[in-house]
Amino acid sequence: MRIELFYTTGCQKCAHARAELKSAAEEIPGAVWRELDALDHLDYAIELGVTTLPAIVIDRKMIFSSLPTPRQLRDALKKRVKKSV
Amino acid sequence: MSLTIGKIATLAKVSTDTLRYYERERLIEPAAKSEGGYRLYERDALRRIRFIKQAQQCGFTLTEIRALLTLRSSDAACCRDVRRLALEKKLQLEAKIKTMKVMSKALHHLIAACSADSRSLDDCPILAALERVNGVKRTNR
Repeated sequence: MRIELFYTTGCQKCAHARAELKSAAEEIPGAVWRELDALDHLDYAIELGVTTLPAIVIDRKMIFSSLPTPRQLRDALKKRVKKSV
Repeated sequence: MSLTIGKIATLAKVSTDTLRYYERERLIEPAAKSEGGYRLYERDALRRIRFIKQAQQCGFTLTEIRALLTLRSSDAACCRDVRRLALEKKLQLEAKIKTMKVMSKALHHLIAACSADSRSLDDCPILAALERVNGVKRTNR
């Protein structure tokens, strides 16, 4: 499962939450965490439907258009794992 | 020095209706009203109107401009907050451009399918293609 956080440079909100969200994501076996500056990956962000920042995309699907709590992210990931089993 | 709505509208190159609309949208506010009930603006309002016009040209909606103006006057905000809003707007515009390109391409195919001759409307390939629902032509006309 690929989790991608799109952020904008200098976003304090992202900087504080990133580490916590990353650990929450990595609790899920097989989860791969990526952090992408939206400006550097503009075409990719648009392709995935990212229009607000920060945003989290899971397996190329826009899931969070604003930062979730680590718990919300964990729940969303678990749900997807369950679905795929 | 106070400016009347007509004067400030002329200086900002907008109509007085636009200024009244901005006021309804809570983007500008007259500093005072004259005894006769006419709106009076401070010179600073001119800068604000120009800011609104410029932001509109960059694609910001009036609601977003209100947020930008709030940020501009907030002590807690800084440049990167504005940058984030600008980047979000760019993402939205690029997404729109992408959608419009798809629409333009679809029209290109429809135009190419039409030989522009004088056949009847019943045989028009463009109308026929537009009538197709999910690629299947409707029969109950």
